Amino acid sequence: MHEFNWGLLIVVYLFLGGLSAGLFFAAGLANYLEVDGQPAYPRVAAMGALLAPWPVAIGSALLILDLGNWYRFYKLFTHFRWESPMSIGSYLLMLFTGITFVYAYAWLPEAWRQQLFQKVPATWKQAHRLNLDLAPYRKVIAMVGFPFSIGVGIYTGVLLGAVSARPFWNTNLVAQMFLFSALSSGAAALLLAMVLDKRSSIQTHETKFLITLDIVFIVLELFIILPYLIHGQLSVLAVKQALWLILGGPYTVVFWVFFMGLGLLVPLGIEVSELAPSLLKGKAFHGDRRLALVASSLVLLGGFLLRYIFVYAGQVSSFHKMGMLH
Amino acid sequence: MAMKKKRYALVLDSRKCINCKACAVACKAENQVPVGNTRNWINEARQGEYPKLRIDFEPEQCHHCEHPSCARVCPTGATWMRKDGIVLVNYDDCIGCRYCMVACPYDARYFHEESGTVHKCTLCSHRVDKGDLPACVETCPSKVRVFGDLEDPTSRVHELLATRRYRVKEPQTGNGPQLYYLL
Repeated sequence: MHEFNWGLLIVVYLFLGGLSAGLFFAAGLANYLEVDGQPAYPRVAAMGALLAPWPVAIGSALLILDLGNWYRFYKLFTHFRWESPMSIGSYLLMLFTGITFVYAYAWLPEAWRQQLFQKVPATWKQAHRLNLDLAPYRKVIAMVGFPFSIGVGIYTGVLLGAVSARPFWNTNLVAQMFLFSALSSGAAALLLAMVLDKRSSIQTHETKFLITLDIVFIVLELFIILPYLIHGQLSVLAVKQALWLILGGPYTVVFWVFFMGLGLLVPLGIEVSELAPSLLKGKAFHGDRRLALVASSLVLLGGFLLRYIFVYAGQVSSFHKMGMLH
Repeated sequence: MAMKKKRYALVLDSRKCINCKACAVACKAENQVPVGNTRNWINEARQGEYPKLRIDFEPEQCHHCEHPSCARVCPTGATWMRKDGIVLVNYDDCIGCRYCMVACPYDARYFHEESGTVHKCTLCSHRVDKGDLPACVETCPSKVRVFGDLEDPTSRVHELLATRRYRVKEPQTGNGPQLYYLL
């Protein structure tokens, strides 16, 4: 049997990196939306900004731990190789993580910021100069961060898509698939966090915004996955054999039942059934808390499974292991 | 005198292979390959049923590709190609991310647990630089393996590729593999 060079840590990292990209994107977008000159979703923007740095920070740590020599990770930054997606991605990831932390800092409530700086010894004068209010720069930081968040979302797919030796990955669709999955996971995670936030309950217009965003991303993701399957079937034998892994092979159930079904179509169905009455019939949007909870959890599960399936099935696929079709 | 360009390659007459695995043993001894890993191996293919049957043995190792996908994806440049075509790993720069292992169409690399780096066939560059043959080539009792410089018109590999029919494995990957299998 084939040995897996990349395992669960890589899956988790790809998921968390994408999640942060999605959180930042949704939060930044919410920051820009206004109604009558007033920010429309300030709480969504704040929650997303404060959450965005953590998944990518944890994911990057896992990525470093997965290395054969974790302490050599600095070598990624003493070299630059434009042909290597991983090299480009490392720089992208580092810059993006930095931006998310600055952005989170800009959204830190005044009281929290003062509390934070109280812990810093008063003699550290230089450190206290960082006690700035960056709130006026939120939009600028968000705008700077958008390309990086999109970049990180795409990069996780390019990392796999650029490997010509693995027919399962080697298509131009994987990058977009991962991007939209990441953006959708971000919107879902934000919805989940808002629903679970005990201090202040989520308001219906916020639920509506996040559900709408998620529907858009899930639909875009479907628009990528279907061509991926159809075009793969119409492609050369190696690609067809690779696709067999999810069309009858060992990853069929996890792909169709758990990813496509539970992770994509069920939450899409829930979200559309929530939104449709208000969109089509002008009825009031209810925004059921429990349905939002279920839908957003399922979307996160789907985002994780997509990466799981791609990382594992992709490594099994190859040009020289013919005879997978029996 | 200007140094002439070199391009080392292996020509394999796999019909002569008797699957004795002396090449694999010689490689392990020469390069201290850990138990459980191999830098070269022999593929077996059976077909038919008695009395109409055949079995083919096909030695394989790193193909020292002309356009190595492992070197392309390496984020630190640890995997690199010498001017003479030998693809090597600089163990000091290897961070052990295993992207090269994922990117190799021939699965010719292995993860060296002890050092946390990726290893593979070096075409015994340390021997070649002294003018010796790679260990697998030297040891092969049935003379399956011919090592040489494709750019040298007087070399045996040059002659074989000019006069015999041959194939390379998975040319569709675009890697330009440099293990030539005689037909």
